[in-house]
Amino acid sequence: MSAVQAALTGALLGGLYAMMAVGLSVSWGMLRVINLAHFGMILLGSYLSFALATSWQVDPLLTLLVTVPLLAALGAALHWVYERTGLVEFTSLLVSFGVMIIMIQLVHNIWSADFRRLAPELNRYGSGSWFVGELAFPLPTLVAFGAGVVLIGGGWLLLRTTFLGRALRAFAEDRDMAAAYGIDHRRLGMLLAGASGATAAVAGTLWALGNTLVPDAPFEWIGIVFAVVILGGIGQVLGTLAAGVLVGALTSVASVLWESTTSLLVVFLVIIIALLLRPAGLFVRGAAR
Amino acid sequence: MLEVRELDAFHGHAQALWGVDLAVGDAEVVSVIGPNGAGKSTLVCAVAGLLRTVRGRILVDGHDLTTVAAHRVCERGVAIVPEGRRVFGHLTVHENLLLGAHRRGARSGHRATLAEVHELFPRLAERATQPARNLSGGEQQMLAIGRALMARPRMLLLDEPSLGLAPVVLDEVFAAVRAIHAGGVSVLLVEQDIERALAVSGRAYLLAEGRVVTAGPVDQLRDDPQVRRSVLGQ
Ligand SMILES: Nc1ncnc2c1ncn2[C@@H]1O[C@H](COP(=O)(O)OP(=O)(O)OP(=O)(O)O)[C@@H](O)[C@H]1O
Ligand SMILES: [Mg+2]
Repeated sequence: MSAVQAALTGALLGGLYAMMAVGLSVSWGMLRVINLAHFGMILLGSYLSFALATSWQVDPLLTLLVTVPLLAALGAALHWVYERTGLVEFTSLLVSFGVMIIMIQLVHNIWSADFRRLAPELNRYGSGSWFVGELAFPLPTLVAFGAGVVLIGGGWLLLRTTFLGRALRAFAEDRDMAAAYGIDHRRLGMLLAGASGATAAVAGTLWALGNTLVPDAPFEWIGIVFAVVILGGIGQVLGTLAAGVLVGALTSVASVLWESTTSLLVVFLVIIIALLLRPAGLFVRGAAR
Repeated sequence: MLEVRELDAFHGHAQALWGVDLAVGDAEVVSVIGPNGAGKSTLVCAVAGLLRTVRGRILVDGHDLTTVAAHRVCERGVAIVPEGRRVFGHLTVHENLLLGAHRRGARSGHRATLAEVHELFPRLAERATQPARNLSGGEQQMLAIGRALMARPRMLLLDEPSLGLAPVVLDEVFAAVRAIHAGGVSVLLVEQDIERALAVSGRAYLLAEGRVVTAGPVDQLRDDPQVRRSVLGQ
């Protein structure tokens, strides 16, 4: 595979990383919770999509009708528990790690550790590519990328232009002043956690379209997705998308040029250097928020 | 409009207010003056709902708001211009103003209110698209006041609006206070600049070490030896 093709495939895959990262980033930036359970929810989303599509024999994208509300409710419920227990950033990391492990175990118990994959006859997006000249756009990643761009772009527009979006940004900056101007932080927090859970559902389904499911997948995601969150700038929606594309392309190109262990080393070296140069994220002007 | 009865307030275990009684009538401007650490900001925060470790009574229009959360206090028409302004630095000037109109009672008429605020502070219209963190201190103070007005308050709490401002800007800020008062809004004004504060107020309270030392019409307080000592003591 040529480096250009690798960069393209990786960039498209990056849209999926961004979709996984955006919920994490937003709840970190705005709710001050580093919610590792988010990875558990993505995993649940992917398996639920697989299971529902298989048992009802429907298009896996249709399962979103069930998984999105379900995981939104789960995200909000988890946030309610976090609020109740008065977690701060650091303790949230520990507690939500525990929750993630429980979710992985749950998936393990229900679906076993066997590989699972959506049957090709159900999954119209599972294989094949579009071609532009010599360049191939693999269908599953293309779908994931398109969904990522549309949803993240839509989220950004909401944050920029609506009363609710402004309220969220104000809330992220100064909770007390936001409250003094009528913003109910409990309601807003639940709403945001719910939205974040919904993105986990979408990311899970998109993952299931193009990948074999294993219960340990979160450990595979964590490194890359965290890199995307931090490079994109914590709480920065568009930054996350851009960082996802960059990290995806970088990872993919590195894997063509070097063997797998070396390529991961190179990827994280580049990420570390980037963070040393721009600690608040690649696209954040001035001070960190 | 506002009635505070026997208010005790605490920061953690440290008590900052002891049995404070205070009232602001409809469309009245009342000053609270006093030395540093007297508890003026504590009082303002307690009324705005930002400090809930309090004992006593805080009534707005007869509604007991003593234990009510800040966002609900806001719905009752209380708006705060806090010490240090605390505008939302990442939001633009325009967005800060719109955010002021977040509460239900202010949202529908926000265009008309915005026009009024721009008339009061034309500078804010010129700087509309700037992030608030790029503004000068005086402009940020105008923005903080403008944001409060966007909430269409009936009770405005101003905590040291003159802090760190140049005299020219001060004139503009106090002119605004007069205009706001003329519009029928009740104002509780905390100030270190006692001359200016008394000039716009009908009555005043002198606070020291968390207690009301003396209170009354401004003409009476101007000549009060305790007030003079407190002024000179700074
Ligand atoms: N967040 C806090 N935690 C602990 N103590 C506080 C806090 N805020 C204020 N205090 C204390 O409460 C007392 C009253 O403070 P407050 O800020 O209300 O005074 P102030 O009259 O507004 O003073 P200034 O003129 O300096 O603004 C002071 O002794 C202060 O040290
Ligand atoms: Mg003060």
